[in-house]
Amino acid sequence: MKKGALILLLGVVVSTVAFSSFYYFGTVNCRELMRQPQPELAWLKKEFHLSDAEFTRISEMHAAYLPQCQERCLRIAEQDRQLEQLLATATTMTPDIQNALAARARLRGECETEMMNHFLRVSQTMPAEQGRRYLEWVEQHIFSNGQDMEAHHHMAHHGEQ
Amino acid sequence: MDLEHKHQDDTSLDRLLQEWVVSEPLPPRFDEQVWHRIRRAETEPQASIWALMARLITVVVPRPKVACSYITVLLVVGVVTGAWEAQRQNNRLDSALGSRYLQSVNPFQAAAQKP
Repeated sequence: MKKGALILLLGVVVSTVAFSSFYYFGTVNCRELMRQPQPELAWLKKEFHLSDAEFTRISEMHAAYLPQCQERCLRIAEQDRQLEQLLATATTMTPDIQNALAARARLRGECETEMMNHFLRVSQTMPAEQGRRYLEWVEQHIFSNGQDMEAHHHMAHHGEQ
Repeated sequence: MDLEHKHQDDTSLDRLLQEWVVSEPLPPRFDEQVWHRIRRAETEPQASIWALMARLITVVVPRPKVACSYITVLLVVGVVTGAWEAQRQNNRLDSALGSRYLQSVNPFQAAAQKP
């Protein structure tokens, strides 16, 4: 009885050790990524096979782009607030509402243009093949569903402020 | 000759049995004890499952071939599930970091996927 129970227990222990070892060594890269100061940029380096020099350059461009993006987002939030106030009391279309909508559309276009410029500059920093793949990826996930942009805007950015 | 003798014995035994009269009274609570034995007999299959398991552990598992097969199967299960779960974790993280990168450069869009 004792020998049989020991064999059963040994099987469970062997299985647990095998699972833990394969999981641990299989996720070494994950943990390494998450230990980086900016895991999303470290992921970019891994995903698009960037050299250290390319990664450094892209990190600098990323850091330079973020404050401009933040500033535009604050302007968008302000415009949204103004439009909301106008719409709260309006019963017909007024010149103020038309102006607010036009300004909002201009700012949105400006934001998208700057974003596209940034993506193009980043892609040019990558090796040619990876740059094409990067552009395809961002275009697919950012510009292919523009109708959702406004809905996501508040959740994605201003929700964090 | 032998057969004839045997036949005579059977006949005499039959006669004796027919003449036999039970004069002893039944023991006290005879009926109750009979039903108790029937009930106990009905519960025996359950006990035999435990007996079967005990036999499995004491006799079957310690056999070298069975023990080796059992441990090998559990080893393979551990390896496969560990590798599979690690791969799932890697995919989840890739997807999450891709989304984080897109969100960091595109305030309009929260959702993104791995390339």
